[in-house]
Amino acid sequence: MRQRPERGALVEREPTHRRGVGALVVLALGVVLGLTVWHLPREHAPLSRVAREALVVALPGWHTLEPVNEVVYGTRGFDTFGETFLLLAAVVGIGLIARTREQRGEFLGEELAAAREQHAELASSDDAGPEVRARAAEAGEQGRGRGPATPDAEPLGRAWPERSRAMTVVVRAGVRVLAPLLTICGCYLFAWGYSPGGGFPGGAVLVGIVLLAYVSLGYRRVQRVIRPAPVEVAELLGALLVVAVELGGLIFKGSFSASFLPLGQVQTIPSGGVLQAFSASEVIEVATGLTLAIFGLLGMAHDWAPPAEHRDEGSSRAPEEGRAPS
Amino acid sequence: MIVVNYLASVTLLCIGLYAVLTKRNLLKIVMGLSLMESSTYLFLLSLAYRAGSTAPVLLGPPHGESPSALAHGDVADPVLQNICLTAIVIGVAVTGVFLAVTVRIVQHYRTLDADRVRELRG
Repeated sequence: MRQRPERGALVEREPTHRRGVGALVVLALGVVLGLTVWHLPREHAPLSRVAREALVVALPGWHTLEPVNEVVYGTRGFDTFGETFLLLAAVVGIGLIARTREQRGEFLGEELAAAREQHAELASSDDAGPEVRARAAEAGEQGRGRGPATPDAEPLGRAWPERSRAMTVVVRAGVRVLAPLLTICGCYLFAWGYSPGGGFPGGAVLVGIVLLAYVSLGYRRVQRVIRPAPVEVAELLGALLVVAVELGGLIFKGSFSASFLPLGQVQTIPSGGVLQAFSASEVIEVATGLTLAIFGLLGMAHDWAPPAEHRDEGSSRAPEEGRAPS
Repeated sequence: MIVVNYLASVTLLCIGLYAVLTKRNLLKIVMGLSLMESSTYLFLLSLAYRAGSTAPVLLGPPHGESPSALAHGDVADPVLQNICLTAIVIGVAVTGVFLAVTVRIVQHYRTLDADRVRELRG
């Protein structure tokens, strides 16, 4: 049999790949790009015609005081439409890559799917101690191990530190105070679309709240809301809304992404007409899409099967030996 | 001297590309790609900057001016800011896909070293 390199061996120096050639290529590219940007218009150049047009048309044409929003959802609406579906494609891609073979109702817990086989595998292994301990610690962090059901049920003032599956009571209290304020903030960003903000930042803020709750309170507290089924449905509804808003222009005004909704009074919530509708659909799309992507990634727990070569060579080697050097 | 920003973004792009070309750790390659994306954000926003300008918002014009007068005034480029917004969203999505692929590669090959991932080599 061909001699394999020691896979788990500690490497003294970080392995690299053709540093000389890489440096040369990068240097050449840097010089070319440096010369190019040197001749670009600088801070005193007049604004481009497109930018001027967007600024001039924002108030009379769209009743919005925010030219960036006007560009995103109005003038370059078709581009944003494409971007929305790029985001959707990426989320579907992550979902496909991260998904396990069997249907699951929750994001985390991939390793539970084959728990029985996993236990059988561990029981037959000679040196299962570290593996069992690691799994118990992992289960504890996810709130599946021993101890109270939620971190809040754990009494304060004990001599030992709180468990690591949720953050300390200080952070939990802070997040509980902050989350409603941040939710209002995120909704304000897209609802008051005539001031700086819009669907993308609003959606990102909402994702931030979900992540704050997940990190500080633990998965079990967000588990009931953050499940694949409702989040995926909301994501697709957001995408459908975007399509409907853009198609409305085609149906009622004869051009895709044209403004077909009546424009409200300036500095009110419905002022932008179709801009606001697009922005609101985008909030759903971005917030649920990023949530799906992040939890899809978080749910990719390590698989339990031992590496292939171990199966070939029998159980003479310890399972840890083949682990990835990271 | 906004050209310093331009050059800084070129430098960032080069550092990222160097990481992608020479590193063998898949996570570091993804980090290099993220760095290259970030450099485009810096570049686009620097390109949008105008000396002595305000944000492209027609809200709260100076005393005695109307919002429409502000539209003709000295403001940063809204189109480039919008393109930066697009770039950020796409950057996040692409990084997510890269990371998902990386995790599955690590699970399959049990290594982060790109040189050891060569089952596809014909």
